Amino acid sequence: MALTETRPSTDDDAVADGPTTAPSPIEELVGSGDHLTIGRLFIGFSLVFLALASLGLLLGGIDGLSEDGLIGLVDSLWNSALAAMVMMGALPLLLGIAIYIVPLQVGSPAIAFPRAAALSLWGWVISAGIFAVGVALDGGVSGNDLDGARLSNVALGAMMVSLSLGAVCVATTVLSHRPLGMGLSKVPFFSWSMLVAAPVWILTFGSTVAHVFVGQISQADAPALAAGYAAGISWFLRVPAVFMLAIPVLGIAADVVAKNVGRRVAPHGVVQALIGAYAVLSFGAWTQTPRALQTFVWVIWVLLAAVPVVALLGALADCLRHGRPTASAALVGSVLAFLHILGAVLAGALQGLDTSGSGSLFGFDTAALEWSQGFFLMGAAVVGGLAGLAHWSRRLVAAPAPEAQAKGAITAVLAGSGLLASAYLVEGLAGANDQSLTAEVLAALVAVGAVLMLLGALGGLGMVLSAARSGAEHPDPDDDGGLTLEWAPAGGPVAGVAQDLAYVNSPYPLLDLRGDEEERS
Amino acid sequence: MAESSTLSLESAAPPPVLPRRRELLFGTAFATAGVVMAMATLIGVYISTRDANGAAWLSVNTIPLTQPNMQLLTIGMSAVTMQWAVWSINRDDRYHTYLALGVTLLLGAAFVNQTTFLYNQAGIVMIQAEGPLFYAVTAGHLAMVAAGMIFMALMGLRTLGGQFSSRQPDGIGAAAIFWHAAVALYAVIWFAVYVQK
Repeated sequence: MALTETRPSTDDDAVADGPTTAPSPIEELVGSGDHLTIGRLFIGFSLVFLALASLGLLLGGIDGLSEDGLIGLVDSLWNSALAAMVMMGALPLLLGIAIYIVPLQVGSPAIAFPRAAALSLWGWVISAGIFAVGVALDGGVSGNDLDGARLSNVALGAMMVSLSLGAVCVATTVLSHRPLGMGLSKVPFFSWSMLVAAPVWILTFGSTVAHVFVGQISQADAPALAAGYAAGISWFLRVPAVFMLAIPVLGIAADVVAKNVGRRVAPHGVVQALIGAYAVLSFGAWTQTPRALQTFVWVIWVLLAAVPVVALLGALADCLRHGRPTASAALVGSVLAFLHILGAVLAGALQGLDTSGSGSLFGFDTAALEWSQGFFLMGAAVVGGLAGLAHWSRRLVAAPAPEAQAKGAITAVLAGSGLLASAYLVEGLAGANDQSLTAEVLAALVAVGAVLMLLGALGGLGMVLSAARSGAEHPDPDDDGGLTLEWAPAGGPVAGVAQDLAYVNSPYPLLDLRGDEEERS
Repeated sequence: MAESSTLSLESAAPPPVLPRRRELLFGTAFATAGVVMAMATLIGVYISTRDANGAAWLSVNTIPLTQPNMQLLTIGMSAVTMQWAVWSINRDDRYHTYLALGVTLLLGAAFVNQTTFLYNQAGIVMIQAEGPLFYAVTAGHLAMVAAGMIFMALMGLRTLGGQFSSRQPDGIGAAAIFWHAAVALYAVIWFAVYVQK
């Protein structure tokens, strides 16, 4: 007789299988494919690494205060700090928020390719750790130690690949995990911003990884690796490529404003188009060669980026004007991040004016202007990320973020990155008449900016941990004021919140459920 | 009466959970875009460096064009057979799907063999100036072809297990996206590296 049904289990089978052991908490953590866990870990590690990178910049600044250097690692620490702050702090912070929030926002119980998302996390954590070790060995992106430089080169490439993999998971989630009725034109702004950010990140890092590969395969020595970084990789930290750091910030700001005043940011399609236009203008792989910076197209390209930013700011201001906004940390932070984006546009425009034509028109220090752009956008990304953490704190850790701590952390990062960027902006402009800041003054400003960044990163970490502790003791994940799907109440911040929502024909389904009266009030 | 029976049927039977359509296609398209960008950058760096070196570039090596031409022909044919597999799985023609995947894998293996033969013929070594960039471009592409073959074989095995059909053909389509990108890139490499030398 053929057995067509599952064999019933017996006690003998259980004995034969032997005792089973439940996985330990660490095993569960490392082996998890749950986007909630992966997102939280991304956020936590990114804030820790951001603090570490800020500490490195602080040491570099202190080292630069004396002519001979106090610890002798000034070049390695100083030059690697911006790359570290971006690759180990700002970008993974935004990616972590996206991995957590985007599936909830599009009503999906899981992220696309959960194992790939986990691989992205652990690949990034390990490579970020290796990069930090490489910098400590006087490697980094411009160090003198060969082993340290090669280690850092590989780690930088691995971080880029890992973050790209995470971006693939997020973008695929938006494209293929939406509920019926939610066309792309009805995707909430943060998810939309991640959808348009992901291709830009993937293409940009695809290009930079090629240079990492060339540096490795050619068995270059430390100076050659440093030259390779300057010529082939560092372009992603100057405009227009560095604009890509702030694409998700635009989405965060739009969602924060809408929830803050309980109104739609309208027209939805126009705002989506503005975010999309900014993303297109942040594609900068074509500006790798110095010759590309001396073209009219480059200058126009950089200036055009200001248009969607200003227009979006106008749309948000209009939405705020029609409601009763409260000056929450999330609102203030996400809107003030726009100032940093515009600061980067200004620094880029000055560089464009200077290098347009066949040479240097005003004699600005273009290298300093590029550092300024990088710090402005890194600051915008971190501020936007912290604003996002404050905004989605109930969903992330089941409790609202302490407002005072959130405001403190955001203010520190705004001030720190603003000081760093402004110092380099002044240095860039002063270079016109050989009136550069003295090395000691610049080092002092960098040290102060780094201290503020360090305080901001630690403050952000403290804010999340404090809210998490509060959430563990008194869970309070639901928010009646939510408009988008991630706020759908289901008794806790679990991925199943939207499983019953089979058809969603709006970016603001919860606002629709409550009716228009509330919006009008 | 009929209406009430319909309602009771609907409430008794929850809708089946279908697999996510096009998830693998989108994911593969994004990943392929990144790989293509990396390869395009490598080719750009190769051309730029070659221009900077002028007539001295590859002056001590001989790269016959016959071999790259045959490689282009081989991998070009594989694009047709790959599309044959996509066409077949969309029509539930499993026999032709396996056949097309098998022929594509065979052509891919032939391409790998031809490339290693060309390496022996050209005799370019890593310690000469051209070596690192030449191998970064061509071996990078070879790795992409190898990855495409592994991807194709895995999707073939999953098809064999009944996971793909006309209702869910994404795996074969995803493998085809990656493979077509590899074919297109080889056409660029053929012209930029071998024809222009």
